[in-house]
Amino acid sequence: MNESLRIILFITLLCLTLLLFIIDILAGPVAIPVHDILQTIFTGESANPVWKTIVIGFRLPKALTAILAGMALSVSGLQMQTIFRNPLAGPYVLGISSGASLGVALVILGFPVLFAQGNINPLSIWVQIMASWIGSALVLLLIMTVSLRVRDIMTILILGVLFGSATSAVVSILQYFSHQTQLKAFVVWSMGNLGNVTKGQLAVMSVTTIAGLVISFFSGKMLNVLQLGESYARSMGMNITFSRMVVFISTSILAGTVTAFCGPVGFIGIAVPHITRALFKSADHRLLIPAVILTGAMIMLLSDILTQLPGSDSTLPVNSVTALIGIPIVIWVIFRNKKITPVG
Amino acid sequence: MHKTDDILLEWKDVSIGYRKNNVISSMLAENLSMKVRTGEIIGLIGRNGCGKSTLLRTMVRLQSSLKGKIMIGGKDINSISRTEYAKTVGFVSTESISIHHMTVAELVSLGRFPYTNWIGVFTALDREIVDNAINLAGISHIQDKYLYELSDGERQKTMIARVLAQDTKVMVLDEPTAFLDLPNRYEMLRLLNELAHQNGKTIIYSTHDLSIALYESDRLWLMAAGKITEGAPEDLIITKGFHKLFENSDIDFNMDTAGFQLKREFTGMMAVTGEASLNYWTSRALERIGIRTGREGSVKESIVTDFQNGTPVWFLYLYDKTYSFYSVYDLISFLKNYKKLT
Repeated sequence: MNESLRIILFITLLCLTLLLFIIDILAGPVAIPVHDILQTIFTGESANPVWKTIVIGFRLPKALTAILAGMALSVSGLQMQTIFRNPLAGPYVLGISSGASLGVALVILGFPVLFAQGNINPLSIWVQIMASWIGSALVLLLIMTVSLRVRDIMTILILGVLFGSATSAVVSILQYFSHQTQLKAFVVWSMGNLGNVTKGQLAVMSVTTIAGLVISFFSGKMLNVLQLGESYARSMGMNITFSRMVVFISTSILAGTVTAFCGPVGFIGIAVPHITRALFKSADHRLLIPAVILTGAMIMLLSDILTQLPGSDSTLPVNSVTALIGIPIVIWVIFRNKKITPVG
Repeated sequence: MHKTDDILLEWKDVSIGYRKNNVISSMLAENLSMKVRTGEIIGLIGRNGCGKSTLLRTMVRLQSSLKGKIMIGGKDINSISRTEYAKTVGFVSTESISIHHMTVAELVSLGRFPYTNWIGVFTALDREIVDNAINLAGISHIQDKYLYELSDGERQKTMIARVLAQDTKVMVLDEPTAFLDLPNRYEMLRLLNELAHQNGKTIIYSTHDLSIALYESDRLWLMAAGKITEGAPEDLIITKGFHKLFENSDIDFNMDTAGFQLKREFTGMMAVTGEASLNYWTSRALERIGIRTGREGSVKESIVTDFQNGTPVWFLYLYDKTYSFYSVYDLISFLKNYKKLT
């Protein structure tokens, strides 16, 4: 595929993303005309104050959250797939979501007072976010310590999966001993939700996501060479430990942030890199990283639109939608890879 | 009259092998001392498991030596920075690389890793070096192909082009001919020879392909029993260096043909006379079924080869009877049956 085709593809995806962004804001139980939505977004004013509250207070933050989450999860998925040279790796293979869920489980199930019904205040939400962040940071720390001592990247992958399982086991124990109300609060968190992010939280989420994305740009050149395997990478003068640090830190910030604000959102991180590679027919991460960011935002917006059942007040959990979109793609990857091994 | 100023690489009393928890867990070779001049092509030969790959990996610093020093351009390799070393020594492993959606030109470009900035931006010079590497390796006609579309020969040349793009003085190649068919192997070695003698690359490669290594190496490193015997291939033949390599095996080195053959146990002997052009191949076929070729007159049983109207004929004189055959195959089949009967 030549450069000009790729540029056209980029622009097409950008337009599609914008379109889906508008549709995402349009979608909802209350029908608001397109004109009023655009007016509200661009001028901050609206003929109808209720519409303004809905758009500015709820739908706009939700759509922006979808964009941030899509970008973050997809980039971390791409990084994980390349560094582990495994097409089925995703943002959570290092156990980041498990760490986060342990943190959240500890506060929701351990301190029911904070999350008692009718008592959910901004403070308790921040406590939950911090707990999730600390959980994923601890997992990151563990993985980093291991990767300093362990040469073989596959060992790190296996350890990541095992840490994840161990953490999940602890979470199960906590769930087993907790009260119904808290249990439901936790289960709802674990289903993922893009709509709980307030404006203030959105600002924090934007800053950390952008930080993670900026770090990921540093990894592009290294990921390109890592596709050849670590022996080749080292023979070309790459500092393997440094490259792992960059990738792991970036992935943990990105996946950790999404999990903290939206809960664990599955399959986007695995599926989007494959869609992007197939679209752009490239293995160059200097191109793939921005392309994955764009595709990730687009697919996440699409998923969010699909959570909105037409003509109904209720929404589906976002995790179910991403799974239903993502799983067929993962199956396609498995079948395609039977023909061509290994994948980068 | 030895010039010593062009020594590029020097191994001083180096031991190679593996360490586990800072204790030497396996020592594959000890006290290796070799010198390599700029522009030499060196073939590393040894049996499976003797430590060839370990030696090459030590050379490219993928693992450290257990003892001794490796000097390059007068400097200890361990005193050279990672990036600087990557600009001096390049490596091609045995691993077969096939990355989805990566083209030949993209793979070759990866060789510029140690030269480009943090984001990997290419300068005009980088482009030029990549183009040169592609041309030198003779793959310009396939540079836009995807890796999975390549044959093994093309893929190996692509890997060579990548290490050329890395622009190193020394190229270390682990079995560059491993997956190639015979014409491709010769082509690969011719390419390496050209790179060494015309482009001044110093090349160290390992191979199991002795006949090619004998023709296309300035020097061979024969690795056996933890030692290296080095010398020009011809010197090693003359001094019987090769015999060491296959001690305790079923193979013999034949000094006349510079080839290897299976050691055989012979159960009979026959004289072969007649047409010289047929005798050699007839003797070879006889050896395969355990019959040694004896001198004329020393054995009763004999085969006389001849051409009748341009077609080869074999006459077999066996216990006062004469049989005639029109192909080696028929002759051998008859003798095999005959042996079974008697």
